[in-house]
Amino acid sequence: MSVTAVAKKDFQDAVRSRSLWALSVVFVGLAMLTTFMYIEFPELLGGEEELSGVGLGLFLAGIASLFIGLTAIVIAYKALAGERELGSMKLLLALPHTRADVVFGKVLGRTATLAIPIVLGFGAAGLYGYVMISEFSFVDYLIFLGLTVVFALAFVSIVVGISGSTGSTSRASALAVGFFLLFELIWDGVTFGLVYVTNGFALPETMPNWIYVVNQIPPSSAYTTAMMALIPDAIVMGDSAAQEIDAFYATEWLGVVMLVFWIVVPLAIGYRRFKNADL
Amino acid sequence: MASIELSGLTKHYGEVVALQDVDLTVADGEIFGFLGPNGAGKSTTINMLLDFVRPTSGTATVLGMDAQADSQTVRQRVGVLPDGYHVYDRLTGRQHVQFAIDSKNADDDPEEILERVGIIEAADRKAGGYSKGMKQRLVLGMALVGEPDLLILDEPTTGLDPRGARDIREIIREEVARGATVFFSSHILEQVQAVCDRVGILREGELVAVDTIAGLRNAMTTDALLMVTLDRPFEDEVSLLETIAGVTSVTADGAALSVQCANGAKTGVIDIVEELGYAVQDFKTQEASLEELFIAYTDGERPGTKSAADADEETDAEEESATATSEIADEAEVDR
Repeated sequence: MSVTAVAKKDFQDAVRSRSLWALSVVFVGLAMLTTFMYIEFPELLGGEEELSGVGLGLFLAGIASLFIGLTAIVIAYKALAGERELGSMKLLLALPHTRADVVFGKVLGRTATLAIPIVLGFGAAGLYGYVMISEFSFVDYLIFLGLTVVFALAFVSIVVGISGSTGSTSRASALAVGFFLLFELIWDGVTFGLVYVTNGFALPETMPNWIYVVNQIPPSSAYTTAMMALIPDAIVMGDSAAQEIDAFYATEWLGVVMLVFWIVVPLAIGYRRFKNADL
Repeated sequence: MASIELSGLTKHYGEVVALQDVDLTVADGEIFGFLGPNGAGKSTTINMLLDFVRPTSGTATVLGMDAQADSQTVRQRVGVLPDGYHVYDRLTGRQHVQFAIDSKNADDDPEEILERVGIIEAADRKAGGYSKGMKQRLVLGMALVGEPDLLILDEPTTGLDPRGARDIREIIREEVARGATVFFSSHILEQVQAVCDRVGILREGELVAVDTIAGLRNAMTTDALLMVTLDRPFEDEVSLLETIAGVTSVTADGAALSVQCANGAKTGVIDIVEELGYAVQDFKTQEASLEELFIAYTDGERPGTKSAADADEETDAEEESATATSEIADEAEVDR
């Protein structure tokens, strides 16, 4: 299979990079530290519930999502633009791969690469949690781990999509950082602005229901919300906003829908542009 | 059947014309050299054969298939050494070749390939640390994977020392002997001359000539320099020799004669000298090199197109001189 050949090559290439292993060490450290804080200082973190594997997952997710998003940018923004700029794309496409093979192979290869620190870090944290927390569901924790890899896939898809839409790495990095800024750092401000403007330049007493949908747009929010959809225990622990609203869209599954959107749409756009480009 | 067929192939980048209306047929089993200075459109043409770049108009057919619509199948059967490539720095030579094998579902042995291109001793080193010549050998090795029907080599001798260039020529000949067709571009004329059956000359995006090497040489108007050593000083009037058709100028310096003449006139000159009663002890020709030919075709003025009649008249003489000069060329080869 052509896609797997590309993915394998891409993965082999990445696994040899020292920075990946440095990243893994940092991530394991971060996950262990987070777990330590969750277990030792629940009161500092506003936790009132019993310690649990699900609670640990939610807590880890909050911290890890930023890290995963940034790492996805670092390891994927060059995926297509960089190979085009350098000329290794010619080596790749001189072989019988379609451009679709290249795009999807890249997404798989880079996701597998990003999955290494995630599995190592959250795996270690999970073992630590398993030892320390009496109420620890292995199944729930595995679902959480799997979903985190899907979240990484979504972010890698976004960044590979961006990388495919341009032949210049500087453009690709600017677009990827811009994406992160808009959707992950200042999105609260954006939603606030939306409410303010649609309410006639004044703040309403209560937030309108539709703001729930807008809040699910950032990949990290979609990830956290999707976790609540997949692990029912997380709905209460995570204080799901959907529970307070009465609307057909007020469901935690919206998070899953948004994650799928982020996996599919940017990549489809990037692929179209890459497919039609002169290399 | 034709391995490559270009029909009205044109590529514009905005206002810039990279390639204009190129028609070309490369037959199965031939070694075709694609000559031109940098920026003449050689790589653009190759990029369109591989669907890296899409034509503005016209079509490219490779191994009977449309280069754009059937690109994947085309690339399955073609081995490519692209221009301006970059290897994967962190992968070893072996991994590169293995990647090509995986990609083509071939059953080659990476060791055999690396042995053949002469970098077996570096098989397990990261390619990022290879020299330019080693990278070139590695990518050539990747191109050889899967016994391709057609090899497309873009400037294959770039970065290689003369020995490397000779190794590449040898591999090209082996591949052709196996039944492959070879299409390679170069601006180094000796390389093309040494191995090609036919050449196409590209100039500013236009194909200005397609011919055999010998044919191109014949089409040249540039004179050759014939240097004759006689048994005694030349005492007759040099103007006697200058009346011979095709001779431009003659200078005599004792027993040494230098005659500036058309390729076809050389044997005539020697005949007359001998008729005059001199014995020719030695003669050398400095033939118009392919370099000059190349410049003549690609730099401003194109050489006057000789009429077919002229060419016919000269044929007999040409053949003789061709034999003589090829012997001389062989000697020259040994000297080098």
